[in-house]
Amino acid sequence: MHSVVRPNAWVALKLPSGSTKVIQIAPNTTISLGKYGSFPSNLIIGRPYHLTFELQDKLPNETFSRLRVVPADELYAEVFAEEAGPGCATPDAAGANDTVISTTDGEEFSLVDDKGNVVARSNREVLDENARQTLTQDEIEELKREGTNAGKDVIAKLLLSHTALDQKTSFSLAKYKLLKTKKYIRRFQVLPIDVENLAHWQLEERDASKIMDMRAEMIGLVGCWGNVHYGGDEVFLPDPKTSSAEGAGACVPVDRDVLKGRWLAVDDTCGLLVAAMAERMGILYEGENTESEVKAEEHKGMATEQAPARSEIPEKPQSNTPATESTQKDGDAEMTDAPTKPVKRESDVKPKQLNPRPSDFATPYSQTNTITVIHATSQPNLSLLNYWGFDITAPNHPPHPLLNHLLTLSWLQLLKPELDTAYSTPPPTATPETLASWKPSRRGNFHRKRRRYARIRHIVDSTRTGNFSGLVCASTMDPISILRHTLPLLAGGAPVAIYSPSVESLAALADCFSVPRRTAWVSGAAPEIEGMSNEELERWPGNERFPLNPTLLQGVSIQTSRARRWQVLPGRTHPLMTERGGADGYVFTAWKAIPAEGKVAAKGKFKRRKVESEAATPAAA
Amino acid sequence: MTATTRNGVSPFLDPGPHTKANSLAILQLSRDNLLPVYLKPLTGEHDGYAEGAVVNTRYGSFPHSTMLNVPWGSQIRASKVDTGSRGRKRKREDGDDAFREATGASEKDNEDLATAVTGDSAAAVKQAVADTSGFIHVLPPTPELWTTSLPHRTQVVYTPDYSYILHRIRARPGSVLIEAGAGSGSFTHAAVRAVYNGYPAEGERKGKVFSFEFHEQRYHKMKQELSDHGLDELVQLTHRDVYNGGFAVDGKSPEADAVFLDLPAPWEALPHLSRRRPASSHVNGSATGNEQTDWVSPLNPNKSVYLCTFSPCIEQVTRTVSAMRRLGWVDIDMVEIANRKLHTSRERVGLNLNFDRGVNNSAHDVEEAITRLAEIEARFREHAAKPRDGDEEMDSADEAAEPAGQNSAATNGGTPAEATSGTAPWMEGRLITRGEPEIKTHTSYLVFAVLPREWTEEDEAAAAVKFPVGKEQKVIGAMDRAARKQERREQLQQQQQGASSRKARRKERDEKMAEVSG
Ligand SMILES: C[S@@+](CC[C@H](N)C(=O)[O-])C[C@H]1O[C@@H](n2cnc3c(N)ncnc32)[C@H](O)[C@@H]1O
Repeated sequence: MHSVVRPNAWVALKLPSGSTKVIQIAPNTTISLGKYGSFPSNLIIGRPYHLTFELQDKLPNETFSRLRVVPADELYAEVFAEEAGPGCATPDAAGANDTVISTTDGEEFSLVDDKGNVVARSNREVLDENARQTLTQDEIEELKREGTNAGKDVIAKLLLSHTALDQKTSFSLAKYKLLKTKKYIRRFQVLPIDVENLAHWQLEERDASKIMDMRAEMIGLVGCWGNVHYGGDEVFLPDPKTSSAEGAGACVPVDRDVLKGRWLAVDDTCGLLVAAMAERMGILYEGENTESEVKAEEHKGMATEQAPARSEIPEKPQSNTPATESTQKDGDAEMTDAPTKPVKRESDVKPKQLNPRPSDFATPYSQTNTITVIHATSQPNLSLLNYWGFDITAPNHPPHPLLNHLLTLSWLQLLKPELDTAYSTPPPTATPETLASWKPSRRGNFHRKRRRYARIRHIVDSTRTGNFSGLVCASTMDPISILRHTLPLLAGGAPVAIYSPSVESLAALADCFSVPRRTAWVSGAAPEIEGMSNEELERWPGNERFPLNPTLLQGVSIQTSRARRWQVLPGRTHPLMTERGGADGYVFTAWKAIPAEGKVAAKGKFKRRKVESEAATPAAA
Repeated sequence: MTATTRNGVSPFLDPGPHTKANSLAILQLSRDNLLPVYLKPLTGEHDGYAEGAVVNTRYGSFPHSTMLNVPWGSQIRASKVDTGSRGRKRKREDGDDAFREATGASEKDNEDLATAVTGDSAAAVKQAVADTSGFIHVLPPTPELWTTSLPHRTQVVYTPDYSYILHRIRARPGSVLIEAGAGSGSFTHAAVRAVYNGYPAEGERKGKVFSFEFHEQRYHKMKQELSDHGLDELVQLTHRDVYNGGFAVDGKSPEADAVFLDLPAPWEALPHLSRRRPASSHVNGSATGNEQTDWVSPLNPNKSVYLCTFSPCIEQVTRTVSAMRRLGWVDIDMVEIANRKLHTSRERVGLNLNFDRGVNNSAHDVEEAITRLAEIEARFREHAAKPRDGDEEMDSADEAAEPAGQNSAATNGGTPAEATSGTAPWMEGRLITRGEPEIKTHTSYLVFAVLPREWTEEDEAAAAVKFPVGKEQKVIGAMDRAARKQERREQLQQQQQGASSRKARRKERDEKMAEVSG
């Protein structure tokens, strides 16, 4: 992650209400936090993450609020006071807890009249003392509920009773407004957009179903059980230096021996899964290498023009990619939609050393440390990657590590490439003389078609070569069908990690590998496989009784994890009362096995059961 | 035990296509029974076995020779081993000890003793002969497999916890991570995989783990393990009490991006993890007194540092959190991870099913129960219709019921095949999931925190020059009413432009289609 907020970076602003606003920090703009106030974006650009800022009152001659960094001591002043105060963490305080009513931590309330004058201010003692005297049991219950909005009126009543206002006037609550205290509402924190923060925001504040309810626990588990990690320094195939007259035959063939550290992915989480994998493989963040980052910052200007990608021929003007997200409903978060443009990169303003342009059939992809995404629609939906400056739909992309480490192909391209037009249409050819006679735009088209052909051809051929280091899925498709077609592509011993929001599909998958089913399989319950080679058995399409070859996975297991969050405060440490519900999330794990040739019987305790199921299976030979 | 010479990369990071001699492999005996083994090259008779080194398990005997240079994931058949020159089989404990010494096998695996003692003879290696039954699988080492099979010297951090921790503390390729104490190295192996981004060239900064352990024996064991696993260039293990000694290594700062503390008293270590020399009141003992002059922060000065402490007791958490607050850590967050493994099985319930293990021979549904009850009643009436002594009525009712039950089971004995014909036995019944018989309900409390980068007045002044304010044009983010109106107006304009750009897009798509088909 970058050390400071860079111009045009996407960041998460954590507001005092606890909600998060995800926003792209364009230089020279005003960032509005609605009722909390607004400030110039340039006051947080170039500043570190995780600081807490406070919006200050406008200076008389200025039109905007300046920011102040709130020191940690000030953030914790209340806690320190409690710790120092009498009765801290004593049984007394604990015992009093029954009647102690506190607003959500860090919140203070003040009561203002219709002219905006503060009539009363809440603090803990006031609430505690008055609560017992003025409130009904029901009201106390309401206050104790987490989320003080429910108890707003009650707090107002408390504050009024505290100042004995109710006796002076026949008060109506409507006359007074309850506000969170100024001091608090004007604070915010700037957090980096990484996988953890983005996923949390999607889950808690946006549309959890979009990322299939995938919690941090699950992201961690699939990443580890899928053994997803840096897969080696990048390796590129040599440029064949083809002439324009050469056709498909001149493409560089796939070299199985240099393919290494490659993971297969099936992602229906709009790219969150791919982002999580890319983060673990070191290919998610553009230019984050510490040293070069510091240097790049030095060179950074404020221009926002997009630099032409690599050294490709300039094509039509960059079109904005279609908005991929549903339109906003809530007015308070207009700017929080997924970005729809590739992020403009300032570092590219510095003219790049122009490498000699690679020939049309040069393979742009690294042979190592790659993610191969198989998708069910003609284009993959990886819209969340936009938050990291990668737009899969951009034809002419500024530099990004995913450009040559992310390969995508459809199931059709994988399984029936001959039916895919892009794969099966041979690339155009032309003699250099003909080519020279064309208009530049036609030449550009010609080269683009050839490059596209070489790309698709490499993706399909290398994927079909198999030997992947692992398979990671978070998909709404039936995992059995996914495995039917991907198991043959995995190297021996490669892990499989499949996330699902609910357990049923994973249970059905695990059942394909149950001990009774395996035992039946090895004792000949599927007569049609008799005499098949291991190779054929790997690609066996399955039948009703054996949806998958049950010997292809080893160590099948399903698990679920849940983080329980606690509040830690002096004398008041306990698990949170409520947390997000919804899907728990489950992970299926196993390893690709390479069965020994011929029949292999189990030894020991399994023997008896084997005999039984043999007896129970008339088909057994 | 021969150390793995690093020819290339640690088998944890890149195991290659197949097993190699002198390298770690994990033998999977059954789903939850894993055995780490350093495969021995073929050198000749070994410990009395003509086949060389042999792993003996309850699933059969497996000479190393049958597991060498095979693709990872291979199923290995048991062999008929020749114990000819070995004579009487050694006592179990003997072999067990020998194995543990050789491979450091987990103590819980004492049933699966393996014999892999060094000491080679000149005799030619005998070709292993496949046994009629028994097999295992040989898997490439991963932190997950290592965690479940490693020799325990301490409590260890398991996958459900470390997977979450590493994600939350942003341990990524290129990160430098501080860990204390190293313990049994479970967390270390997962951490090094997370931060790995290649082996460093001389003087190069690459992802790395700085690990600390003050228990001397554990330190040495771990040192050996790291070199056996080809990880010693990526993990710098230091023998030290971090409460007193802090985290600088050779007087230099590791410049850590992330920290994991699995120690009894994290608050004693925390003051050392500061950006500035800690006030002496924070620091344990007086040991730092004389080092004060050359104190260096072990943290990366340019980045926010992420921290996790791992403590089993709530009192530890309270003290740790209190210390964190005073030392300026923010975003303090405490969680506890509950993980459950689920088993799937087929639940078979029915009166007409066979008597296999796991089958519940009671009524499958109300209809089946009624049918059975009606049957019994009918028989009973039949029986009662026959004249009998009044006194025995009760007994005879029982008698009548009894044989009826047996009878129906017997008569139905023939039906299972019929009833389930078409349904394979492994597909019968309802698929269910259930938890393991015993679950871990508490491992430890995880406290997370972040220490922002230091930001001085000079830093702020420099940034203010670089990014001057006053040229703001647009408003982004949530807006008041006036701003929203303005935004609407702009949006309308944009929409008009948008329509034309949509047209452009359509045109582009059409061209693309033409391209592909042309
Ligand atoms: C529970 S174990 C750590 C287990 C480890 N995280 C793992 O996953 O295998 C705690 C370790 O910290 C070490 N330790 C305790 N206090 C220490 C100190 N002050 N400095 C260094 N190591 C310490 C202990 O010797 C012990 O090995």
